[in-house]
Amino acid sequence: MKPFQYMRPTDTPAAIRVKGKEAGAYFLAGGTNLVDLMKMGVVAPEKLVDINRLPLRGIEVVGGGLRIGALATNSEVADHPYVLEHYPLLSMAINAGASPQLRNMATTGGNLLQRTRCSYFFDPTMPCNKRVPGSGCGAIDGINRMHAIFGASEKCIAVNPSDMSVALRALDAVVRVSGPAGERSIAMEDFHRLPGEQPELDNTLQKGELITAVELPAPVFTKNVHYLKIRDRTSYAFALVSVAAALDLDGSRGIRGVRLAMGGVAHKPWRLGAAEEFLKGKTVTEDNFRQAAQIAMQGAKGYSYNQFKLRMAPNAILQALKTAAAIV
Amino acid sequence: MNKSLIGDSMSRVDGRLKVTGQAKYSGEYKLPGLAYGVLVPATITKGTITAIDVKAAKRTPGVIEVITPFNFAGLPGFKPDAAQPVRGLKLFNDKSVSFNGQPIALVVAESFEKATYAASLVRATYQEEAFETDFHKNREKGVTPQGGKYKDYLRGEANAYKKAPVVVEQEYLQPSEMHNPMELHVTIASWEGEDKLTVYTKSQGVVSTQRTFSNAFGIKPENVQVNSRFVGGAFGSSLRTWPHEIAAAYAARLVRRPVKVTLTREQMFTLVGYRPFTIQKIGLGATADGKLLGITHESYSQTATYEEFTENSVNCSRFLYDAANCNTLYKVVPLHVGVPAPMRGPGEATGSFALESALDELSYALKMDPIQLRLKNYAERDPERNLPWSSKYLRECYELGAERIGWENRSPRPGSQKEGEWLVGYGIGCGAFGAYRGRALAKIKIMADGSVNIQSATSDIGPGTGTAMTLIASDLLGVPAGKITFELGNSAFPMAPTQGGSSTVSSVGSAVHDACMAIRQKFAALDGQSAEGPLDYVALLQKHSLPYLELTEESQSSEQAKNYSMYSFSAHFAKVHVHPLTGVVKVMRLVAVVDAGRIVSHKTAASQMIGGAVGGIGMVLTEEAIFDDKYGRYVNGNFADYHVPVNADIHQIEAIFIDKPDRYINPLGTKGIGEISLIGVAASVTNAIYNATGKRVRELPVTPDKLI
Amino acid sequence: MSRYTDKPAEQSGPQSESRRDFFKKGSLLSAIAFSPGAVLRAAENKWDEKIADEWEKIPVSLTVNGAPYQVKVEARTTLLDLLREQLGLTGSKKGCDRGQCGACTVHVDGVRVNSCLSLAVTNDGKKVTTIEGLADGENLHPMQEAFIRHDGFQCGYCTSGQIMSAVALLKEGRTASPEQISEFMSGNICRCGAYSNIVKAIQDVKNQLS
Repeated sequence: MKPFQYMRPTDTPAAIRVKGKEAGAYFLAGGTNLVDLMKMGVVAPEKLVDINRLPLRGIEVVGGGLRIGALATNSEVADHPYVLEHYPLLSMAINAGASPQLRNMATTGGNLLQRTRCSYFFDPTMPCNKRVPGSGCGAIDGINRMHAIFGASEKCIAVNPSDMSVALRALDAVVRVSGPAGERSIAMEDFHRLPGEQPELDNTLQKGELITAVELPAPVFTKNVHYLKIRDRTSYAFALVSVAAALDLDGSRGIRGVRLAMGGVAHKPWRLGAAEEFLKGKTVTEDNFRQAAQIAMQGAKGYSYNQFKLRMAPNAILQALKTAAAIV
Repeated sequence: MNKSLIGDSMSRVDGRLKVTGQAKYSGEYKLPGLAYGVLVPATITKGTITAIDVKAAKRTPGVIEVITPFNFAGLPGFKPDAAQPVRGLKLFNDKSVSFNGQPIALVVAESFEKATYAASLVRATYQEEAFETDFHKNREKGVTPQGGKYKDYLRGEANAYKKAPVVVEQEYLQPSEMHNPMELHVTIASWEGEDKLTVYTKSQGVVSTQRTFSNAFGIKPENVQVNSRFVGGAFGSSLRTWPHEIAAAYAARLVRRPVKVTLTREQMFTLVGYRPFTIQKIGLGATADGKLLGITHESYSQTATYEEFTENSVNCSRFLYDAANCNTLYKVVPLHVGVPAPMRGPGEATGSFALESALDELSYALKMDPIQLRLKNYAERDPERNLPWSSKYLRECYELGAERIGWENRSPRPGSQKEGEWLVGYGIGCGAFGAYRGRALAKIKIMADGSVNIQSATSDIGPGTGTAMTLIASDLLGVPAGKITFELGNSAFPMAPTQGGSSTVSSVGSAVHDACMAIRQKFAALDGQSAEGPLDYVALLQKHSLPYLELTEESQSSEQAKNYSMYSFSAHFAKVHVHPLTGVVKVMRLVAVVDAGRIVSHKTAASQMIGGAVGGIGMVLTEEAIFDDKYGRYVNGNFADYHVPVNADIHQIEAIFIDKPDRYINPLGTKGIGEISLIGVAASVTNAIYNATGKRVRELPVTPDKLI
Repeated sequence: MSRYTDKPAEQSGPQSESRRDFFKKGSLLSAIAFSPGAVLRAAENKWDEKIADEWEKIPVSLTVNGAPYQVKVEARTTLLDLLREQLGLTGSKKGCDRGQCGACTVHVDGVRVNSCLSLAVTNDGKKVTTIEGLADGENLHPMQEAFIRHDGFQCGYCTSGQIMSAVALLKEGRTASPEQISEFMSGNICRCGAYSNIVKAIQDVKNQLS
């Protein structure tokens, strides 16, 4: 690991100030992704600004919703009684990711900024437009079993690896950020981006901005929810495909509201808007779910090694909806 | 000896050290002045190194030395043409690159961090050449290995299966699989003067490692002290001495300080072997009532261009079932990859997957129960060597396993059973592995206080060698286990073979047995009494004013043993759940029934069996090292993307031992379980998956994408 | 407390900054490559490096297994390497160095973490417990006893991490069923395959305590 300058500010403005807009300066939170990337030589910060002592760890009920401090660890969020009761989907998604030890370290803000697990990105000897813009994409003609089927570009077919973000996307979370130009809010929808011509940009944060919190709107989906993650082993593995499904059902199994998002299929958590539209106002039947799953697949495109995702994804949507609706 | 202690369920003798963090593994010796070595891997797959720029690395604070092919002074004992070369040494000795990841430099620095960073700054320039890592493309270039051992085999008529009324002919694919022991491979080397070397290294064989160092550096074997007291797993990856071990010793001599070289997990994917990518074709032909008329087994296996690796993938097809006609062919395909190494169950596990899958396919073609098909073709003697078995209780394995798994609940119609939303299936897979016994020595010493010390230069990579040896000695001497210490992992101890091939209890256990028996005689002789009854060692030593008695005993196989064919046998039974929508497989139950002769230490043996089954579950469901042939590099060469099973992958596993002694192999009657615990597991699971779904997966691993 | 938390953030930099400038400007080190004589001898003695080395390090105070430690580490040194290479506490194991296996699991302020991904400097002021600190003198922790009793290991290399995870698991209350134990122990890989015995050991301790 390349030597770097280490700083540990104790208040947020100081942290933002010392990091400044330096390209070589990074915020360090849980470190579970950044320290790994540094060890692999994927990133080599000149300066690490340790933000762990900033007062951004609280989880509070604010208004009708929930405000999760950026430094709240994944475990703290997943195990929080209010989250378990009112946002169980988030709890399930977080617990489907990584391992208990990593979840104890990883933070909410850090999880949102998790880099892709694409092997070409992680191996500095391979071409990767995300790591070195213009160097080419190793995956597009390479081993792309883990890669995107939605929203990819010629430059990059990597996927976002986060499970938490899939739930946050489904729940319409808002990311609060603070930066040299002040504070602002970014809807989850707009936070992560598609690779397009600039795959080096994972998200829409501006230079020097720090995530301070994630806000969830008032809880709606408290009961009929499921996070299904299909992976190559039962636990401690990244998703082949994952689905966050949330249903708001009336007394006669009518679908008042529905949220669907997928992980492991795109450069950002992939919201299934058309499928949601289709299901809204319909009743819970396997056939409706099956149709919704087919609608969700419109525009999907497989590559040489991930064609299976075109079959697996609709199956996963169906299964997640069935489980959420408790149809066996 | 009134009561036999052998077979008792004693806890591990080294358990306390392991649960308290006090067990010291090879990389954990803090020698004064220790320097840290980090290897620099080649980033091309084939070619020649034209230059290596070490300036940036050398300018880095704390760097002591950078060793490259451009300043490597050679090894005194390294003669490429000698009969005993340092096998396949790819280490600075020439500038050619034969695989991606080959070490091209070693950076030695004051700390691990400094060495690691400096290593990242070493820049090589290469003259690149075209390379081949694509097995499928090069399969036809397969060659019969050198030497006679792997020549084509024929009994009766070749390819007789083709003429049979019922025929199965299929290909099966085993991808490269990594040993991935938990402990990173590591070596600390320290010189005293020019010709005395002490090594702490992760090794399954301290004596063979001692010999390799002695050869490499041209020093006397007795001047090389190899220590490997605790080994954090190996599964075959430490059967030989690897280049990084030699590099540590070379560097230590150069910088005149102890040097520790630790591989990264990523480097362990290219530098310490793996189960090779193998494609096998099986042809089975049978009569309508299930009598096998012909077995053909062809295997094509990956090897390196710079060293030939071979294993017994086709051998089980020659003797596991009774068929008059059998032919096998084994070829290796040299590619620009690192050399493979035997991995638990080695070729036999690969071979068994193919043979036992094909047999299952035949059972469905015949509409015959798979166990009945096996019984119909039961080999009462070894059809390959035409010798009687020293012992074989495979029939009992079938019976016990079928009963335990609930075989009667199996539906002969695939895809017809469900539990909740999960499809249910049952499968069987069998295996055999040679029961070996090597020459071994043990030294025993009984002290005035009645305590016993036994030493032998064997290793323990986890099965519980010390525990088994303590039980044997306790039983034979009539001394409580708590008064016995068994020491291993030191090349200065009496010679023992490398821990591999499931043979440690057979080889070293026999030496301990013989040593115990001999010292009993010695004690008995003091008073001219019989060695048959109980002996009071303390009283005898006291009476004769002796501080202790000791002796060293050598033990090896008898001539009589050559008249028998010796194998351990296993039958694995799996019950799986398969999710029809997600393709997820759960091995709900695995019952492993084993005829491995007498079991010395039931508790550790059961753990070893269960562990082998877990390894088998990894082989069948999750493990595959994936190459990008465009670059010749692994794309999942790390512990996150290469999936070994985790706790949640494992449900119920039961180990059942026949536990009947083999009368011919050794005085203990043991046959070995290390390999057999894994051989046959893969097919039991794929066969169960077929039974559950009607989908036959012939390419491992069976990840969810293959079932939807 | 370290002065790094007492003083404003900006003041924590200069030391490492000057050390870096020292090399960036390359005053001595790059010069020696071309300079004969005295300078070269100075370089051989590595005075510059020794000085730089000290400048580069950051003081950290932390408690490990109840004992206070004042150490100086490079910012890039992980907690795991600090424990293993500097403090001689080799019970915590390195199996991947990337948070992919769990062999390095320790408790920081009572919470289980992968020490290989935690920079030592970030643990300033924290309480660390490793496998060496689990037993009460000669009396093993019930989890250590249970691992021996149920043979929850073979080679022993993942064992420290497994036990540290298992002890934390009990505290987390994730022991409702064998399935839950398995899931929440899945961050600790055991290549010998002792998983089912590990689950039994944990259930045993849980039953003892309840």
